[in-house]
Amino acid sequence: MTDLTKAKTKLNSKVKQKKKISKYPRHSLKILKGNFAAAEGAKLCRAGFIPSYPITPQTTIVEELSSMVSRGEIDATYVNMDSEHSVFAAAMGAAMAGERVFTATSGQGLFYSHEVLHAIAHFRLPIVICNVGRPSIPWNIWSDQSDSMSQRDTGWIQFYGESSQEVLDGIIQGYVIAEKLDLPVMIVLDAFYQSHTSENIWIPDIDLVDEFLPKKKKSGNEIDIENPKSFGGLVPPEHYETFNFQYWRDINEVENLTNKIGKKFGKHFGREYSAIETTNIGPQTKMILVALSSITTTARGVVQNHPEVGLIKLKLFKPFPKKSILKALENISDDTIIMNIDRNFLGDKEGAVMHEMKRALYGKTFKMCDVYTGLGGKDVPPSTIEKIIHKGFHSPEDVMWIDFE
Amino acid sequence: MEPLNEFIIRDEKVFSGALSCRGCGWALLVRHLSSILGEETVYVLPASCFSIISGPYPLNELKGSVVHTLFAAAPATATGIRAALDRQGKKDVTVAVLAGDGGTFDIGLQSLSGAATRGENILYICNNNGAYMNTGIQTSTATPYGAITTTNPAAKIKDIWPKDLMGIIAAHNIPYAATASLAFMEDFRNKIKKAKETPGFRLLMVDGPCPPGHKTEPEMSISVARLAVETNIFPLIEVEHQNYTINHEPEKFTPVEECMKLQGRYSHLFKNGSSELVKQIQEYTDMNWKRLKDLAKSSVN
Repeated sequence: MTDLTKAKTKLNSKVKQKKKISKYPRHSLKILKGNFAAAEGAKLCRAGFIPSYPITPQTTIVEELSSMVSRGEIDATYVNMDSEHSVFAAAMGAAMAGERVFTATSGQGLFYSHEVLHAIAHFRLPIVICNVGRPSIPWNIWSDQSDSMSQRDTGWIQFYGESSQEVLDGIIQGYVIAEKLDLPVMIVLDAFYQSHTSENIWIPDIDLVDEFLPKKKKSGNEIDIENPKSFGGLVPPEHYETFNFQYWRDINEVENLTNKIGKKFGKHFGREYSAIETTNIGPQTKMILVALSSITTTARGVVQNHPEVGLIKLKLFKPFPKKSILKALENISDDTIIMNIDRNFLGDKEGAVMHEMKRALYGKTFKMCDVYTGLGGKDVPPSTIEKIIHKGFHSPEDVMWIDFE
Repeated sequence: MEPLNEFIIRDEKVFSGALSCRGCGWALLVRHLSSILGEETVYVLPASCFSIISGPYPLNELKGSVVHTLFAAAPATATGIRAALDRQGKKDVTVAVLAGDGGTFDIGLQSLSGAATRGENILYICNNNGAYMNTGIQTSTATPYGAITTTNPAAKIKDIWPKDLMGIIAAHNIPYAATASLAFMEDFRNKIKKAKETPGFRLLMVDGPCPPGHKTEPEMSISVARLAVETNIFPLIEVEHQNYTINHEPEKFTPVEECMKLQGRYSHLFKNGSSELVKQIQEYTDMNWKRLKDLAKSSVN
C-alpha cells in the first residue's frame, strides 16, 4: 500500500467514524456462534495452512474453515489429517517453512498433541490455535478448562476469551504477538456456552485486519532451499541452556506486549484489551473474585449488587500476568479475600488459578481461597456466584467445592 | 571412457564425518540417495540412528535442509513442509523422510498410513535393520523371527513373524513402493531415480546392515545383504499401484542359514547343528517368495 492510499484509508475511516455509520467503522455485524467467530478470525488473518481433525465441541470450527476454502473465500491449504498428533506435526512442518498456520482442537485432541505442543513452542513457531475446553476422563464433552490448563508448561501463550468477540479479536492479536516473539498462542473458549451459543459479533473488514496484521514476514529461521540448515538436531549439554535462556527472555515480554498490542488494537478497531480486566476494585473492596472465560460475565453481573466484591478477569493466563495483578491489588487492604474460581481439576488439592495466583502474590497477606465449580460443563449461574461470595465472607475454607458441603 | 559402474558418486552431497558405526547401512544409503536427490531436498528425520549420524546441533552432514522431528510424526511433519513449499511455488523440491523400522513399522505407522492415503508428494525411505538399534537393539515389529535382541534375549527369542509392511503400504495403492539392497547398487540407484521422478507418495524399504545389532563383522555388511536377497529373505520387488514386479530372481537355491549363520543374532539357532526353528524360517521364506511370485504373475503390467 502506498502512503497516499494509506492516508486515504485513514481519512475514509475518520469520515466514517464521524458519520457514525455503525458502532465500529469498517466492520459488519453478524450473529455467530463462537466456533464460527473463531473460523472468521482465522480467515481474516489469512491463515495459509489449516490441518484438521474433528473433535467435539471444536469440530464446527474446522468444518467452517473447510467450507471457506472450498468456496474459495480463503487462499489456504486445508488437509484432513489422521489424528491431532499429526495435525500439530503438520502445523509444525508448515510453520517451519514459513506459512501462517491455524487449527483448532479440544480436550483429548489437545492431550494427544501434548508432545507436539512442546516441540512447536521450543522450535519457536508462531502458530495460533483455538482450543474449545473440555476435560478428559471421566468422559465428558462440556465446558471445563482442565485440558488447556494442563498444558500450561508446554510453553504456549494462553488467552481465554470471555466472549466470542474476544475470541475473534484474540486470534488477530494472537498472530501479532506470536509473530513478534516467535511463540505459539492458544486461544481458549468455553465449550457450548461459547462454542455453540450465538452472539452479536463485529467482524472487521479484511483490509482493516491487513493493516494491523500484515503478511507474514520471514524471520530468517525458516526452511530455506537456497540456504540449507538443520533443524532440531541433538543439542549437547553445553548448548542446551542457551535455547531455554532465549525462550525465557522472550516469554517475559508477553505480558507487556499483550497490553501494548491490546491498546493498539483498541485504537485500530475500537475495542481495547489488556492482560487482565478489573471490575469494582477500590478502597471498599473486601473480596475479589478471580475468573476466566464466560463465568466472568456472570460474576460481573453479580458483583454489581456487592459493592465490596471486586472481580479480576484473566485474559492472559500463561505466562501469568503477575505485574498486572500486583498493580490491580496495589491499594487494596491486606486482609482482602482473594477468591479463585477454578473450572479445572488437575488432580491436585488446589486448582490452576489458585496455584498461579499464589505464585503471583507470594509474600502478600491476602486471604487466599480456592473454589472448584462448573467442572465438566456444570452451569455456574448467578446463584452459585452468590453462594461463593456468601461462603467466602461467612465460612471461608482454603479450598471449597461449592456444591459439596 | 566413462566407467560402467553406476555406483561411483561423482558429486558428493554429504560432508565427511558421518557418525555411523563401521559397516552401517545408513551412511552408504544416504550418500547414494543424496547424490541423486540433489541439494534442493528437505530431509525429515524421526528419531532413528540417522538422527545421530546426520550430526548433532549445530552440525549437518547433508547438503540439503534437515528437519529432525518427533518419532511418531515424520510423515505428518513432511505433509506440512510439502504443503508450505507447494504454496511457495517450490514444487520441484523433494521432501524425503528418512526413518528406521521402528519409526515406520511401529510408532510412525499411523502417520505413514495417513500420508500414503492422502497421496502426499513425499519420498519415504525406511532403512530396515530389524530392531530399535539407536536405543541399543530392542525388538520392533520388523525384527525377524528367531533373532535375539536386548528385549528378546536368548531365553525368550523373538517368536513373532515380522509385519508385512510392503503389503500394508501396497494396500494404500500408492504409485511406487520398492525394496532395495545396498548389495545391488545399480538396482538401488535406479529405484531412487524412479522414486524421485514419480509424483505422489513413494516408499523405499532398504535392507539395513547393522554390525552391532546383527552381530556381524563390519566388512561383511554387503555380503550379508547380498545373501539376504539370494536366500529370498529380503526379495527385491517393486509395487506400483498394487502391481508387483520381482527385480531379482536368484539363479540357484541358497538356504536361509547361509545368510543367518553369518549373524550373531541367530547364533543360538545353530548351537547344535541347524534347529527346527531354522526349518520353520526356511518354510516361511519359501512361502513368502511363492506368494510374491504369484502376486507378480497376477499383476497387470
